Amino acid sequence: MATTTATITLASSDIADNALNISNTATFYTAGTDTGISETTGLARKKTNSGSNTVLIEPGVANSVGADITADKSAKIYVKNTNDRGDGTKYVTMLILTREIGRLYGGDWMLIPYKASSGKNLEFTASDTTETTLEYCVFYE
Amino acid sequence: MATTTATLTLASSDLLTDNLSLSSTMSLNKGGTTATGLDQMNYHRAIIPTGTNFDLIAESDALKDNSNYVYIINKNTDVTDFVTLSINDEVIGHLYAGDWTFFPWSCDLSATATDSSVEITANTHDCTIEYALFHVGETLPNSGD
Repeated sequence: MATTTATITLASSDIADNALNISNTATFYTAGTDTGISETTGLARKKTNSGSNTVLIEPGVANSVGADITADKSAKIYVKNTNDRGDGTKYVTMLILTREIGRLYGGDWMLIPYKASSGKNLEFTASDTTETTLEYCVFYE
Repeated sequence: MATTTATLTLASSDLLTDNLSLSSTMSLNKGGTTATGLDQMNYHRAIIPTGTNFDLIAESDALKDNSNYVYIINKNTDVTDFVTLSINDEVIGHLYAGDWTFFPWSCDLSATATDSSVEITANTHDCTIEYALFHVGETLPNSGD
């Protein structure tokens, strides 16, 4: 087993009258255990200059990065839009199948749990045809 | 405007041959702006009874078509306890005891979206969660009195 941790710090000195400082660390365990997750896709990059829908993770599809991600357990996905924020009007829309999760603007990241099952693709759509680069990594069992 | 940052650090010394050490910081800005920070936030702590699917973050006209960010942590300590998160009926994944998630959220009020609420179900046992919504606005209910 491996020990992989994810720490988040949410900080602001002016969103409230007292400083906001939330910090928590999660250890990636297999579902319902305290055994560390030991498989990962590794960190990868995907570029697109299409404004159309693009598949990032295809669970269980042979020869794809998601080929071995098939279990409805405790997988985690990290995604970052590495583009500059620019004028703030360009983003990628992240989707589970056709259901929109939210928009990653340039520099934004997300970390979500992932219920892998056949056909349950993680997809994205860039807001225009500007070349967009996403970095991503899946931790799974 | 406020300045709020979210920093992620992913680390492991034994998942790969070499150390994994990744860090990323983002500012929570309003959509369509270069650097105008979100200046509204809700922070909650709640006990989610097991077995029922709830709207955790409901749609609101003031939230639509912009930037909102969601943070949720499962504060239970029994490793078998988990909550299932979904956008409407589309499950995102399971958040086990101690796990947290952070993601952008689109409040989509279009007819095709049907419902874009963030939903939660506790499994195994009741789950105590803390969650935050950093958002562009809030539609308060009219008191009606």
